[in-house]
Amino acid sequence: MIEFKEVSLIYPDKTQALYDVNLCIGQGELVYITGPSGAGKTSMLKLIMGMEIPTVGSVSVFDKKVRHSGTRTIRRIRRKIGPVFQEFKLIKGRTSLENVIMGMRFLKITPKQMKLQAHEALEKVGLAHKKYSKVENLSWGEAQRVAIARAVARKPSLILADEPTGNLDYDNAVNILELLKSFRNDNTTVIITTHATHLIKDEKDATFIRINNGRVTAERGWTE
Amino acid sequence: MRRFFYNLGYFIKESGKIIKLNLLSNIFTVIGTGLILFLLGIVIAGTDIGSRLVTMLNEEAEINGYFTKDVTTDKMQSIAEEIGRMDGVRSTRIVGEEEAKQRMEEILGEEASILELFTDNPFEAFVEIRIDVEAMDAVLDSVKDTEGIEYVRDNREVLEKIKDITYALKILGYLMTAAVGITTLIILSHMIRQGIYNNRDQINTLKLLGSPGVFIGFPYVLTGVILTVLGGIIAAAAVVWLINGAYDSMGGTLLFIPLPPRKELIDMMALWLPGISLVLGLFGSLFGLSSIREKS
Repeated sequence: MIEFKEVSLIYPDKTQALYDVNLCIGQGELVYITGPSGAGKTSMLKLIMGMEIPTVGSVSVFDKKVRHSGTRTIRRIRRKIGPVFQEFKLIKGRTSLENVIMGMRFLKITPKQMKLQAHEALEKVGLAHKKYSKVENLSWGEAQRVAIARAVARKPSLILADEPTGNLDYDNAVNILELLKSFRNDNTTVIITTHATHLIKDEKDATFIRINNGRVTAERGWTE
Repeated sequence: MRRFFYNLGYFIKESGKIIKLNLLSNIFTVIGTGLILFLLGIVIAGTDIGSRLVTMLNEEAEINGYFTKDVTTDKMQSIAEEIGRMDGVRSTRIVGEEEAKQRMEEILGEEASILELFTDNPFEAFVEIRIDVEAMDAVLDSVKDTEGIEYVRDNREVLEKIKDITYALKILGYLMTAAVGITTLIILSHMIRQGIYNNRDQINTLKLLGSPGVFIGFPYVLTGVILTVLGGIIAAAAVVWLINGAYDSMGGTLLFIPLPPRKELIDMMALWLPGISLVLGLFGSLFGLSSIREKS
């Protein structure tokens, strides 16, 4: 489903974020990308989202290559992804429900189904009672849950969560990880990046990708 | 396309929200747009009055053809008709000996008594030919070559001046309309671009969620059109108020300049300004949207 072939990424300011990365992620996997801050985790997610294009090598998502010229392809790929951004990227001045629905308006689902999925998603993240609250009036943790609800309401094939535990205390961080893991199923892959490896328990059915200084140093095995 | 129409209600609501979220800034946009379009309205009205002046000056351009001695009254009529059929001739009219004398008396005023020294009327009948100044040279040649015409008084100097003035007025009108029109487009698109820029985070988030460009851009284009049309309506109201005030104080005439009928001018402004604002709003929004386009 996701394939990196000899991928290197150099930003315009000449910073090299990734070196010769090769990896393959299949459908329905739970993947943790771990490593210290600045290791290249977010760069990997950006490549999957088509926010960056590899300088060398190729990235394929849902069997489609991510290229400079493929804006339409990139948008099609993105419609199958439920992203949970580090800074959430919620739309201010709108309610939680509006934010969740906003991520679905352009998908091929009926208005009735759209509303149903949005309500279900907010319920799953425990925010049904805050669906009419403006997002700027929510706490950090609540805003994050809205971002998760927006991602999962779309019923995506791939959920990408970038540092979802970043600003949370231990209990809340564990809860968020559990919540994200709960959306993984045969059809939905979940990829989570985190530098807080102490939060991850030894999970036999999960895939671990360790990255440091832009290089994948360990894959598949639990190395902590 | 079906999805677009299905989302039409959402687009309208979204435009309302975009306006509400930056209400003060959008109010200023409407006022700014109204002021710019008000200036454009004044220039258009001025150009319209100018073009009427040009037409009037054009219509005043005339030459006189004097007949040979042997020409009878009937023949004069047929010569006038022949000249009337020439390209560049607007109309012809025979001015008889008596009318020619009366005209001179009017010109001389108190000095007209000098004409009483003549026992016979010294004036000759002639054909008064109103011409299109653009075709002046060709008409003069043709009239001079007409059988029964002895000579032509062409007032060339006056005609050349009329030609220069009409040309200058036309160019000035076009230049002013083009200058104000282009400035309006640039300022409007900049204001709309600023509005879109204020919402860049929302636009980028929607892009990251895979939203198609039309879905992202349409509410902004609609917002731009709504704001500029509101500005256009304000400008039209202000220009109509100004026209009414000006006509009331001048009584419908301005020295020798023929003002267009008040209703005609008001109708033109009431129709044109909102219409122009609609087109400018559409192009300004599309230009504003495309100018902040970032990579996908």
